Amino acid sequence: MSRQPLDFSLNLGIDNSRRNSVFDIWIVLSVVLLSLIGISMIYSASQSIEMALRQGIYMVFGFSALLVISFSNFRKMEVFYLYSYWPGLLLLILVLFFSNENNQTNRWIDLGIFTIQPSELMRFLLPLSAAAFLSRKPLISNFDYLVVFVLTLLATFLVLLQPDLGTALIVLLSGILPILLGGLPWTYIYLGGFTIVCSLPLIWFSLYEYQQQRILTLFNPEADIYGAGWNIAQSKIAIGSGGFWGKGYLNGSQSQLNFIPESHSDFIFSVISEEFGLIGVLFLLFLYGLLIYRLILISINHQNRFAKILSATLSTILLAYISINICMVIGLLPVVGMPLPFVSQGGTALIINLVTIGIILSLRREI
Amino acid sequence: MKGKEFLTDQSILRRIFLFLFPFLILLIFAFLQILNLMVFQADKFKTQADSNRILKEKVFPPRGLILDTNDEIIVNNFIRQDLVVTPNFIEDYSEYLSFLSNLVEIEESMLEQIFYKKLAEIKSFQSFTMLRDLNDEQLAKVKLNFKDLPGTEIIPSFSRNVTFGESSGSVTGYLGFASKKDILLDPNLKNFNDQQVGLLGIEKEFDEELRGTVGYRYSEKDVKGIVQDVLSIEPSIKGKNIKLSIDIELQDKLYKEFKGRKGALIAIEPDTGFIRALISSPSYNPNFFNNFKTEEITLLLQNNNSPLFNRAISGQYPPASTLKPFIGLVALEEDVISWQEKILDEGEFFVEGDNRPYTGWKEGGHGEVNMEKAIAESSDVYFYNIAYDLTVNSITPFLKKFGFGKSSDLFINESQGILPDKKWKLGQKGEFWFKGDTINMGIGQGYILATPLQIALAYSALINGGKLISPRIVQSIDGEEIELVSEQIKIKNIKNLDYIKESLISVVESSTGTAKNIYDPKLRIAGKTGTAQVKSILEDNKYQEIRENVLLRDHALFVGYGPVEDPSIVVVAIVENGESGSLVAAPIVQKAINLYEQE
Repeated sequence: MSRQPLDFSLNLGIDNSRRNSVFDIWIVLSVVLLSLIGISMIYSASQSIEMALRQGIYMVFGFSALLVISFSNFRKMEVFYLYSYWPGLLLLILVLFFSNENNQTNRWIDLGIFTIQPSELMRFLLPLSAAAFLSRKPLISNFDYLVVFVLTLLATFLVLLQPDLGTALIVLLSGILPILLGGLPWTYIYLGGFTIVCSLPLIWFSLYEYQQQRILTLFNPEADIYGAGWNIAQSKIAIGSGGFWGKGYLNGSQSQLNFIPESHSDFIFSVISEEFGLIGVLFLLFLYGLLIYRLILISINHQNRFAKILSATLSTILLAYISINICMVIGLLPVVGMPLPFVSQGGTALIINLVTIGIILSLRREI
Repeated sequence: MKGKEFLTDQSILRRIFLFLFPFLILLIFAFLQILNLMVFQADKFKTQADSNRILKEKVFPPRGLILDTNDEIIVNNFIRQDLVVTPNFIEDYSEYLSFLSNLVEIEESMLEQIFYKKLAEIKSFQSFTMLRDLNDEQLAKVKLNFKDLPGTEIIPSFSRNVTFGESSGSVTGYLGFASKKDILLDPNLKNFNDQQVGLLGIEKEFDEELRGTVGYRYSEKDVKGIVQDVLSIEPSIKGKNIKLSIDIELQDKLYKEFKGRKGALIAIEPDTGFIRALISSPSYNPNFFNNFKTEEITLLLQNNNSPLFNRAISGQYPPASTLKPFIGLVALEEDVISWQEKILDEGEFFVEGDNRPYTGWKEGGHGEVNMEKAIAESSDVYFYNIAYDLTVNSITPFLKKFGFGKSSDLFINESQGILPDKKWKLGQKGEFWFKGDTINMGIGQGYILATPLQIALAYSALINGGKLISPRIVQSIDGEEIELVSEQIKIKNIKNLDYIKESLISVVESSTGTAKNIYDPKLRIAGKTGTAQVKSILEDNKYQEIRENVLLRDHALFVGYGPVEDPSIVVVAIVENGESGSLVAAPIVQKAINLYEQE
């Protein structure tokens, strides 16, 4: 078997003799630190021990799942993954019948003790089944790509109905990435890109008014400081006023005085910036960088098609979450519902993200 | 070509990077923006966050007013000026406090106590009320020195004023801060955690209506925490006005009739259930609580006469002879005795197998008495007899129908009284019911206890043809009338009610009636006297010895209604340790009915 010319593993720390060792210590360390940062920032933002505790419990669950999965032979059950799309789809349909009075959106299914967010589940199940589907035969036909594409569009559409623009984009990405990584000819890629650009106006008009409003305020946040621009303006004040060293834990006036909306979930980055300053942000970005880098290394070094597609897709989605969330809170992208991985409050997202890491760690053991 | 082989390592690597690339670009942009915000524009944003803060602050609505039945204002709001501090803006706390202490002429140690206690509870960028209700001099001095008082604001706020003070205290109640438990029970209170809310009386019962809805103000503050500009306001909604059925002038005059003696009075319309006066004496001035007069509050709390206790609704007294008409009514309904049938009253009543006599209040007795005479002269022996024949099993259920032993739901802190039966005694006292207990109950003594309100409701039912009404003290809320709720009591023979009413007239109008002293042909009143024993008299223990201790003297009761031809009001008066129902309580009731009729 021919090795790729760019062998990162030689000079970048993957020691051949320890290849089958269980853990990539850097991945685990960064994930643990990020989750702990999350819990402490959730406490600071919400001032609710209960909320922080709940996240802590999710973290325990998530890590148990991570451990079990990373020690299992995840890939051996590849056949099952083919069908994992369907329960995800069922939940996405079900969630539309659960109305949530507060937000007028149907994102969660309330199971009494906890709630689950099917769209978060889908952005994990979709690449899993797509990767399995595209790897089931040595040859991938154009029809295979089409099947994945149509099912991806279906899932995306259902998430848009909730409506949840941010996660819909992620679901779309999580279905398209396996297609592209599977080897879709460039002609189709160019054609697709062209179509998207052309249909941009159409997409604009199909957006809800509040979604349009959010995009508009991006270009001129000061125009509507008490409406849609309030969030971005206050978030920027919080981040900027954090300065180099930050104001200290629990001492961010912007977050403590509730200037920042959703400060425990989507806007948690603003709280970190305000309370820990540039130093804190740099540390956070370092952890994310380390994590993504180590994850991508695995997908590069893996020889199996399924594993390669899956790990690359999951890592890219993680990166997408990080970059979109940060751009959103600093006013570079419109505000869409998109949490910061491992840090934002939200049980489903945290557990799925930890499971993702578990899967990639399990795949790593085969390198 | 039907399909395509999987990509080579190289090309898949290229694709991975291709898709990572846009997000990495995004991150680079994000990083530049973060640097821009946190390094190059940090000072600007710091100023915006710290000193040029756009604040979203609560605006509290004025509480609803409380009016009397004639639309006279009983409780209103005054604007007072409070000094509010935001510690964040103060550089040197002790310097600030000593300067402020000089201005407002309040000892520095006291200011320190308030300041540091609050500081421990809140975050330094939150503001709190440091001093309430500044006087004109303090206000002028503070305003003159504003520029040397960073983080200080004068904020107008509402203070609650009860116009008639003490006389209406037992009705209006007072304000204070909600406890954590209150907030747990009513989460809406959370918005009012720094505000006074109703803690007692009408203020408490109707707090939700009175308090209104909080509004918000977006304002801009400068470096010293002084409001520069109000940007927008989400208005608060004023609390609802509550119109009471109370006639405040009547209430005030009658309260003064008590001259500070312990007692209670209730005046209620028998047909509508509207309470026109509700008095508990001695009462308290709610303004002491509303306006934080700590010294006066301490005195009230130490007062042995418990002025905060509402005797009219929570005081439980033996109904004594005022219960006799109801015992008479059961006897008629149960055919135990007829209206004209006479019983010989020689002052004592004996039960078989018990040598201890049950004595009447009049030595030698009243001679031969029928029911009318028995009620008019308040013969104890007559009622010992019929109670003995009736047994507790028929008395208690009947009294229950007239509202004894249950709350009327007028106020939360209302007492239920005690309506004893066999089960009650076994449960509470661990003893069986004795015949003697029934006999005592026949004259309203023993275990039975009732509140003045319960007595008033029971008499109202006697007069209005057997309707047990739910009393109303609120006539309307923001113009919306409160409906009358009543329950018809089953009376076998409606004539029996007329008999009882006739005898109640005789109490005042017969030459031997116990309340003949208040007879006035111009305004005819009917009623019943009562003398409630505080301590039961044992044989060797004569009343003359007991009454040495004022607190053990009998309570004086009178229930009256008038005018006899078409009763418009029922009044119950109790004067604790007043001894004589006819001489002490009856004149107050008469005065009440006269005053009410004059209007």
